Parts: sequence; C-alpha cells; structure tokens
Amino acid sequence: MNTFQVLSSLSNAVGVSGYELSAVAVAEKHLANYGTTYTDSMGNLFCKAFDYNEKLPTILLDAHIDEIGFVVNYITDDGFLKISACGGIDRRVLLAQQVTVCGKEMIKGVVTSTPPHLEKDSSSCPKVEDVYVDVGMTADEVKKLVSLGDYVFIDSPARMLINYSVTSKALDNRAGCTAVIKTLELLNQCERKYNVLVCFSVQEELGLRGAKPAAFSAEFDEAIVVDVSFAKTHGESPKDCGVMGKGPMIGISPTLSRKMSDSLRRIAENKLIPYQLEVMSGRTGTNADVIGLSAGGKNAVTVSIPLKHMHTPAEIVDLNDIENTAKLICEYISDAE
Amino acid sequence: MINELKKLCLLDGVSGNEKDVRDYIISRISGKCEYSVDALGNVIAFVKGKKESDKKLMISAHMDEVGFIVTYINDDGTLCFSPVGGVDERVVFGRKVRLSSGIYGVVGGKALHNLSDDEKGKAPGFDKMVIDIGVSSKQEAQSVVSLGDYVSYVSEFTELGKDKVKCKAIDDRAGCAIMLRLIDEGVEYDTYFTFVVQEEVGLRGATCAAYSVNPDFAIVLESTTAADIPSASDSDRVCELSCGPVVSYMDNRTMYDRELYKLAFELAEDNGIPCQTKTRVAGGNDAGAIQTACGGVRVCAISLPCRYLHSESCVISKQDFENSYKLTKLLSDRIFSL
Repeated sequence: MNTFQVLSSLSNAVGVSGYELSAVAVAEKHLANYGTTYTDSMGNLFCKAFDYNEKLPTILLDAHIDEIGFVVNYITDDGFLKISACGGIDRRVLLAQQVTVCGKEMIKGVVTSTPPHLEKDSSSCPKVEDVYVDVGMTADEVKKLVSLGDYVFIDSPARMLINYSVTSKALDNRAGCTAVIKTLELLNQCERKYNVLVCFSVQEELGLRGAKPAAFSAEFDEAIVVDVSFAKTHGESPKDCGVMGKGPMIGISPTLSRKMSDSLRRIAENKLIPYQLEVMSGRTGTNADVIGLSAGGKNAVTVSIPLKHMHTPAEIVDLNDIENTAKLICEYISDAE
Repeated sequence: MINELKKLCLLDGVSGNEKDVRDYIISRISGKCEYSVDALGNVIAFVKGKKESDKKLMISAHMDEVGFIVTYINDDGTLCFSPVGGVDERVVFGRKVRLSSGIYGVVGGKALHNLSDDEKGKAPGFDKMVIDIGVSSKQEAQSVVSLGDYVSYVSEFTELGKDKVKCKAIDDRAGCAIMLRLIDEGVEYDTYFTFVVQEEVGLRGATCAAYSVNPDFAIVLESTTAADIPSASDSDRVCELSCGPVVSYMDNRTMYDRELYKLAFELAEDNGIPCQTKTRVAGGNDAGAIQTACGGVRVCAISLPCRYLHSESCVISKQDFENSYKLTKLLSDRIFSL
C-alpha cells in the first residue's frame, strides 16, 4: 500500500476520543502484517513487531489514534441534538458544517447556523454549547436512532491536493500512525538494534489519558512519540511553526531526552534525511509528557509531522514528511550506536 | 425531481460562471422548446402551450450560486479570495473548495493554537482566510491558478431523515429543477421560462431577461432563509421547513402584487397544499428586478424554505419542493384568467 492508501484508510475511519474502535480496527489490520497485536482495557492498541530478542533494548513507538469530535448530550423537542466537544475543536469551523452522528446507524447532519441578521454579534464564533446538530428528523424519529453519549464527527474524507499533500479530518494523528506503519514496513528489511513495541494510544485529545496506562503496562527502555505539530500557514510567524515539506520535526525540550534528540539529528544529517528542530521550553503537549514520567522515568523524544489547520476538518500534511519521518525512525532503530 | 436537483446542485456555477449549469439545462430542454442564450448567459426558453393568450407569463429561476473568486496569490502560494454574493464569513473557514480549473483546496489560516488573544473566539474575516492548494510558492500556484478563477463549496448531496436533503447550491437549482419539470410536462398557455445568471450579485441576469421577454406576469421560483432552529423563535424564524412553499407580500427588494399573493394562497387552500408567508421582511430576489422591467410587471415569488442558505449545507424539505412545484403549476394556469 502506498502512503496515501494507508493514511486515507486510517483518517477516513472514525475514532473520536473514547470511541476509537473503528480506527483501531483499521490500524490493527495494518499492524498485524508485522507482529502480534493486542489491546488493553483502555482500548490502546499494541503491536509487538517482528521477533523479540531478549538481549536487545525495547523501543516504544507511540502515536495517538484518537481524533477530536463531539458527543451528544441532549435531544430537543424539535429533534435537534445538543453536543459537547471531545477535545479542542476549532470552533471557527462549526457553522453549517456537515457531520455524521454515530447512532444505531450512521446519520448525516448539519451543524445549525443562525442567519447573520438574527445574531447580536455575528463577528464572534459560537461555542459548541450554542449550536445544534440538525439531522432532519422529529424528536421521535431521532430517539429511535440516537442516544445520549453517541459520538459525532465532522465529515471530511481524505483528498490528495497537488504536490503530494493531503487534506482530511483526523490527520492529527493518523499521520503519526501512518508514519509508524511505514516505519515497520521499512524495518522489515533491516537489521534492528531494538525490539519494537508499537502503541496506538487512545484519548490523547482529552489530556494524554490513554498513553499513561499504556506506558505503565508496556515494557520498554525508551520511547519515540510520533505526533503532528504546526506547519506555518499564511499569517503565522516562522518562529512559532515548522515548514510543511521540510521533513520531520525533531523535538528538543528539557522534558525530552536530549541524547535521543541529538542522535536523531545526527542520523538525519548522515543519512541526508530532511529534518527540522522543534524547540519547546517545557511540556510538549504530546504523549511524551506522560510516557517520560512512566514507572521510574523513561527517555522519550518527539518526532512531529508538520500539519496545517490543526483541529479542523481541513488539516493538511505532506506525504513526503510522513515518509521521511518513517525513514528517520527506521534509521534510528536499525543504526543505533 | 430530486434526482434532477442532485445533478443540478453538484454542478458548480458561481455567479458569472454558470456555463456548466447552462449547458446541462440546454441539454435537457433542447428539442422540447425554442430557446435562446443572451449576452449575459441567460437561457430564455419559450414553451408553446395548448392555448394562446394576449398576456405573457415569465417563470424565472436563477442558475448561479454563491461562492468565491481568487483575487491574489501570496508569496507562499496561498490564495486570497473574495465572496461572490452574500456569504456569511462564519461558514467558510476549514472547508474544502473546488476551483473552476478543477483543482481542490481548503480554506485555512492561522491554527487555533496560534491565534492572538484578540483573534480568539472571533470569526475570521475574509481578509484573514486564504485558500491552500498544497503548493508552497507563488510560482507553483501561478502554474495552476489565475486571478479571477472561481471557487465553489464542495458538498455531497445527502438525505437527512426521511424528508430533507442537504447540498450546496439548492438556492436556486431547486427553482431550475421545477422549471425543467414544467417544461417536460408541457404548459396550458404559452410560457417563457428564464434560467437567469448573476442573481446573487444583484439580480443582474433577471434585469435583462425581463426586458427581453417583456412579460405581463412573472413567477419567480426561489429559495429563502428559514431559521426554524432552536436558537431562533417566533417571528425570527421567518419561515419553517415542511410548512409548504413561501409566498411573500414584501421583502427587501419587492412589494409583491397583492392580487397574485392572495391568489396563490387561495389556490393552495383549495388544493390542500400547505403554504406560508414570511414573518419578517427579509431577503430579496429577482422579482425586484423583474417588477420594474419595461413598463412594469406583476410579480409573485414562490420560495422554498431553506435552512443554512448560502452555505455548503443548504437543507430543504422534499415535501416543500413537491408542493412548490404543484403551486407553481396551479398559479401559472390560473394567472391567465386574471
């Protein structure tokens, strides 16, 4: 499968935080090509890849598999759904947005939009609490199909743009999952200096909740957390962002292992893999924050894929960046000092 | 008629770029009536009826839809754009779009996490949004985009529940679909059907088509804002889905012919068709331009109540759609006896 096929199979699947089952099922099929898969009580998906050699250290490759979305918390007498956010949705995308409700069946809907002439202040973006999902049904019809607690996501199937870039929902962080799957594909043909344990963790968007127990029960010596980070868009400052297409962003932070950051950087230089540095001054906002603190503490580093329009259905990644992320991690695992 | 609507809605026809819609309409009516295309691109069709009358009737719907136009290419390859027609800037950010050249992009800007305190919670204005087509330089963008390229919403045609459908451009392809059905079925009296351009940028196509036809009566088929959602109540709802076609006495562009207004309601009542009027004086449509054409025209508008008008997600009721067709047919026959 080419990179777009892997990525779109994952990003088109539903995996709102707390409801990752469909995305996990798709990911499991990919991972099963490389090793034994299993899930834990939270729903974290693991894969013990290739053969394990007891003499080798184990590296954990973590990528969160959940995506932002919503949950239904009320049905009005008119049959409209009130929703709450799962994760930090960019509320600039809400109004008149096309959504799917994961009820007894998949139900299409539209987020309500009050016409501008009826708004007191049409320059502000309504909050999630102020909008409804219109599924075109009466309350009686809706209640047969939708229950409180059902999940809702924004429809946005993956599409190639020009120049090997892709737009879709949920590229945060199916792009990271794709990079890990591509890493395994490359490692399949290499000598490995580590045992490889993959974890596609759940509920990251709700506060790194899946990775904490995953890291507790997993046996590993060091970890690479593969996530997305900001690619500069129009109007943003280069000091806040990476650049799309310029390679994986190697994290540097007091909370990360500088030794790992340095070796990744050296490997990228030696192997002519494009890379960028992402310097953070404390917590990274990724699963590395909790993985680094698991058990008595672990060495962890972030490798992030530049992404535009984070937490919207119009996220963009460059497939070259995903492939170079896979190359970099593969080289790290096969070429460690 | 729903399949026809789907075909029409999925065509892109931002005001001034109605060619694909026009070509489809011509393919549907050619051989069934006489038609001509004027300098603006209006399709003016003349359908011979079973009877003749010394009065002329024009039934009109617009082919164009709201959208955007590319105004500038930035150094980083992103595209600046302006709305074509009245688009609420709050329904644009984070959407997929299709350019008239066939390439796709998304409307983006600063990431949520990188907004300044002033920008947080605000709807980004058109000056703060750009279209990203996946390139990283002006040169790359220039090889596939020209200033003036049109930009359309990308939207699936989807059924919502049993009675509703959702797509872009229902305003006013629904009117076009009703006219195509009337042409297919034939008419009682000679009738002019005008499929007009540029309604969304100031009722421009209808202005010229009405001059050319010079009718005595006109029925405008439209879509109009329905705010029957939980955040609006009472008169703010303007009109409601599933309560039948909307016939207005007045909007921002037209003081409608009161006799035609009453006749429409009488016909609806006599034939068991639900019918409603607006509870606010709001909106405006081609009737405004047609009414004052030539020596003056008696006008009536039959509009479909539509939620989220001018967004990628217009929602209408199929019953209303069918009832709009029925009422139009009844009125277009009876109008000749006035």
